[in-house]
Amino acid sequence: MFEHDDDIVERMIRQLRRPVSMDPGLAARVMGEIAAPAHPGKKRRWAWLAAAAAVLGAVVIAHPWTRGSGTSTDAFQFVLVAPQAASVSLVGDFNDWDPARSPMQTAHGVWATVVPLAPGRYRYAFLVNGVEWRADPAAPNAIDDEFGTPSSVVTVAGRGS
Amino acid sequence: MGINRVETGDAELVRRVRAGDIGAYGALVARYRDRLGRYAVHMIGDREDAEEALQDSFVRAYRSLERCYDPARFGAWLYGILVNRCRTTGARAARRRRLFVHDAEALNDASHPDAMERLEWTDAVERALARLAPEYREAFLLKHVEELEYEEIAELTGNGISALKMRVKRAREQLQKFLREAEHV
Repeated sequence: MFEHDDDIVERMIRQLRRPVSMDPGLAARVMGEIAAPAHPGKKRRWAWLAAAAAVLGAVVIAHPWTRGSGTSTDAFQFVLVAPQAASVSLVGDFNDWDPARSPMQTAHGVWATVVPLAPGRYRYAFLVNGVEWRADPAAPNAIDDEFGTPSSVVTVAGRGS
Repeated sequence: MGINRVETGDAELVRRVRAGDIGAYGALVARYRDRLGRYAVHMIGDREDAEEALQDSFVRAYRSLERCYDPARFGAWLYGILVNRCRTTGARAARRRRLFVHDAEALNDASHPDAMERLEWTDAVERALARLAPEYREAFLLKHVEELEYEEIAELTGNGISALKMRVKRAREQLQKFLREAEHV
């Protein structure tokens, strides 16, 4: 028994409307790419830094820009290798230690996010699976953490300094 | 009572990105990834090429965000970028054989007659779609799968509404024919 001609196309349309799940790592790749400098000469310079960062975990300067306030900020890519993690958030002085503000995106267990930072000294950590605090294995530990949880420190120098 | 989650609109997210909150762009990517991904996968017919086209579209959109004149319609604007990007990919890959790889689980399940039939149907659908001319496939997918209005499709593609209607009609006729042929193989 054949379907009516229109029915077979309608059945096809229903099939095609089914949700398609794309690679969850796509978001991390997009964020990494938009944070990368547009100048080819500089790109090579940062490529090895990003590769080195991916070995363990790190913070990598990604893209300088200046916003309306007149304060010069740079975008920093934070990277953590955590293949077993279901979620990772970046928390630190720059986002009031709020995990909801800097969720990290993963590509094959490499978690990354980009945040803009003005010159200054910041403490930060990674919150793995919403419960486990981890310091950045590729950065100096902060020694003045008043909460006793592991954290790292990054110092952003001002332009020309 | 309690705290309710309020979803941030596109216009607000675009405003935040423009103000320097790069993380807000991540929210836009997450919001549109799968929906636009579906269009790219069906239009290009190859998942890897589709992901590349989608990634490239998101990056292009970010870099030209200042030209998104109506941030509340960021999604429609992004669609336009992706439609153009799929056209270039499609032209490049026109001579390449469209090969659809089903996941391992689906292949294992195919030992059941019902599952085998489902797999054959899925394959027939993908092959029928692949046989359409790109401009017919584009119009058919945007109208019937993405459920856009002809006015919206005209805006995205730069084609006239009557031409689009004709393409959709021809696409339906050809798909009927291709699917019938597949039934008789």
